[in-house]
Amino acid sequence: MNPVVQRELVGVLRTRKALAMQVGTALACMLPVLLRWPSEGRVGLSGARSQEVFSLFGYGLLTCLLALVPAVPAASFVREKSRGTLGLLFSTPMTSWSIYFGKLAGVFAFAMLFLAMSFPPAAACYAMGGISLTGDLLPLYALLTLAALQCCVLGLWVSVRASSTDGALRVTYGLVLLVGGIALLPDHFLRGTPHVRLAAAADWLRCLSPVAAVMEVLGHRDAISHGLVSTAGAALRHVLLSLGLTSLLALDTVLRLKQTKFDRPRPPGLMTDDRPASARRLRRLWFVVDPQRRKRAIGPLVNPVIVKEFRSRRFGRSHWMLRLVAACALVSLGLTYAATLGTIDWSVETIGAIMVMLQGALIVVVTPSLAAGLLSSEHETGSWSLLRMTPLSAGCILRGKLLSVIWPLFLILLATLPGYGVMIWIKPALTHQISYVIVCLVLAAVFSLIFSATVSSFFRRTAPATITAYGLLLAFYGGTMLFWLGRGAPFGPSLVEAALVANPLAAALTILEVSGFEQYRLVPANWWILSTATVACLAVLGVQTWRLTRPE
Amino acid sequence: MSPPVLVTSHLTKQYGTLTALDDLSLVLDRGHILGLIGPNGAGKTTTIRILAGQARPTRGSATIAGADCVRDARQIKRLVGYMPDVFGYYDNMRVQEYLDFFGAAFRMPRRQRAERIDAVMETAGCTDFRDRFLEVLSFGMKQRVGIARTLLHDPEILILDEPGTGLDPKARIEMRELLLRLAAMGKTLIVTSHILPELSRICDRVAILVRGRLRAFGTLEEILRTLSERSLVEVQLVSADRIDAAAALIRRHVGDDAQIAASPAEAIVRFRASQSDQDRANLLAALVAEGVGPSQFREVPMDLEDTFLSVMRREEASPAPAPSSARGSGGAP
Repeated sequence: MNPVVQRELVGVLRTRKALAMQVGTALACMLPVLLRWPSEGRVGLSGARSQEVFSLFGYGLLTCLLALVPAVPAASFVREKSRGTLGLLFSTPMTSWSIYFGKLAGVFAFAMLFLAMSFPPAAACYAMGGISLTGDLLPLYALLTLAALQCCVLGLWVSVRASSTDGALRVTYGLVLLVGGIALLPDHFLRGTPHVRLAAAADWLRCLSPVAAVMEVLGHRDAISHGLVSTAGAALRHVLLSLGLTSLLALDTVLRLKQTKFDRPRPPGLMTDDRPASARRLRRLWFVVDPQRRKRAIGPLVNPVIVKEFRSRRFGRSHWMLRLVAACALVSLGLTYAATLGTIDWSVETIGAIMVMLQGALIVVVTPSLAAGLLSSEHETGSWSLLRMTPLSAGCILRGKLLSVIWPLFLILLATLPGYGVMIWIKPALTHQISYVIVCLVLAAVFSLIFSATVSSFFRRTAPATITAYGLLLAFYGGTMLFWLGRGAPFGPSLVEAALVANPLAAALTILEVSGFEQYRLVPANWWILSTATVACLAVLGVQTWRLTRPE
Repeated sequence: MSPPVLVTSHLTKQYGTLTALDDLSLVLDRGHILGLIGPNGAGKTTTIRILAGQARPTRGSATIAGADCVRDARQIKRLVGYMPDVFGYYDNMRVQEYLDFFGAAFRMPRRQRAERIDAVMETAGCTDFRDRFLEVLSFGMKQRVGIARTLLHDPEILILDEPGTGLDPKARIEMRELLLRLAAMGKTLIVTSHILPELSRICDRVAILVRGRLRAFGTLEEILRTLSERSLVEVQLVSADRIDAAAALIRRHVGDDAQIAASPAEAIVRFRASQSDQDRANLLAALVAEGVGPSQFREVPMDLEDTFLSVMRREEASPAPAPSSARGSGGAP
């Protein structure tokens, strides 16, 4: 047996986190089945109830899979690199292929084990009747297996390139979100337009997402179209595209898996100040805020922790943030411009919904990445004991750290606001609603930030802190949306409203009266709940930080 | 006489059922370099973590320049420069930025900070790589940056955990010179290390910890004097042919517990004994008279390594002696 497989699989299975993930998935999958299990002596012959549960079960399992599986492969190679064990692996007679397939088999076997935890509720669902083994159950599991493989290959592809675990996690989750969710959007907007070629390309792009394929298998051929019938065969096309992409990524990863590629120390870094004037000007133009310039001493009125955080983090440094802010502003304005053209049948509400979803995605991807390492990274690098030796108080450290995330997050959110401005200009009646939506988004960002930082304070390593923060936030935002997917059947309106009331993105969508959300009233309850949760998290974070600065 | 800079009194630290440090009492005067030695798990790091205010003792107290290590945490931060065994670095930071951050954290005014950074980089010898990223520095360079950071706020006492570990011989010599330079500047240093020959060259006080207990404290000479009840004597023979005869003669004179070790390859017989000078003269006369052919007869001077091993041997022989206290001029308790 390939020794890497054994080490990867056994290593992961030995952790308590793996056990928690598996038990959590089993319980989450069991819940809808238990809730809808027939309590009377008779069962509906149509099997409608079973199908409702099955569809919820399918989406839930896919969400769990996309939220939890990428973490393991994303950390795989990069952790070996940072620990120096990858060099040891290269010094064995193992080839790049055997190392890669060992890793892939290990993480994929873990994903399969994870999927296997859902067999009992799936069997119970099947026992309820109305579901075919070959028509429903097996195709669903085949697609989920393929999605797991896609996540594993994608995670390893990122991991082999990344230089830090949290960076690998951030990029992997970003790509999963891109492939799983955002790939669906172009088709939604281009279908039925005169741009036939573009629409066809968007249709194929949509098929890259496992969500589209699972939707087809679960009988929701196209949940987001406006009554237009999409072209059939999404599942088959997904299989083809997914296998093709997976093979390409695997090949590229193996080609990159050579010792010479890793045996390149980071250049010490030439200071821009020591370069010729022309190079300095060029760099200023390109970077705006040149990361290689000689920094000025920290000012007397500035919290030194903020400056340290900005200078030392890889993601979130000024030059990257400025680009992200610019991209956000462009996307926001672009979407609103598309609405004003009126060539496509989009209402202002639809544009608002897209913007809310994009901003939500941005918050979920960016915030844990910036905040989940705030305290854990200090422990990981051993710098916490140095920070504790300075006269900085726990409050000062915490303020500096939180502000270092609040600023970029604030800038990113600010960059998306011009779109709303245009919307108000088009339809002034929306002013009130949009201001409420902005409050929801700000609350979502603040909650995500404080929550991720609180998670960080309980960990001594960044990778598990980031994984936990991502997992919990995705479960919070995505998990509550699953109830909305099951609205009408199997969940009643009151249960859906109760589930959505904590979700600020759902609250924003109800304010914009987006189709499917009109009947719920989530504000101001949502604001109260989220504010209370944020304050509670902040209190826990404060106590944790204070405790960590005290002598052990 | 100036008041002692470091006083620990019955310092004890327990982690659950494990006693990491047991009733440590010692006093150190200003301007000394204390070498804290002991095997792994002896309680060295626990001791310095308590002194640096990073760990709370279960019992007892520790004061530095009159400030209690737990109660006066803020004052301790100003008084102590602590360099842990792990170099805590930040990614993407250059040496200059790293020192600037810690200077700002100590609330040093900007101009004074810049001057101080230049001065400590000069002292620690890291001016040449001030613009380099921390993560690309060699181990020796990182240790220098660590010392520069420790010196930044001009602390009264420097606590350095394993500053010489992992350094190449040249870097080790440079580190030794640097520590001596700091002592010459009037700093009190507490240094832990496993490289005992290095430590013996810089420390004027040594504390030996074994299983959390202080087993010896004082100057090296004082400890040696206490421990050297049985000194090691070496007899070099002209030829290895009479080595057995020499060993037998020594056994007759010294007794069965002489721990005689014969090395035919070197034509040397070594033994341990607590003899008077007269007894030794008699033994030498007997060796000459019997025609064993001694070419050299000498007492091997003990160094810190021997002292440490001697303490360890005693520890193995008597696993739980009573705790003790010690001041600058001490010896084995």
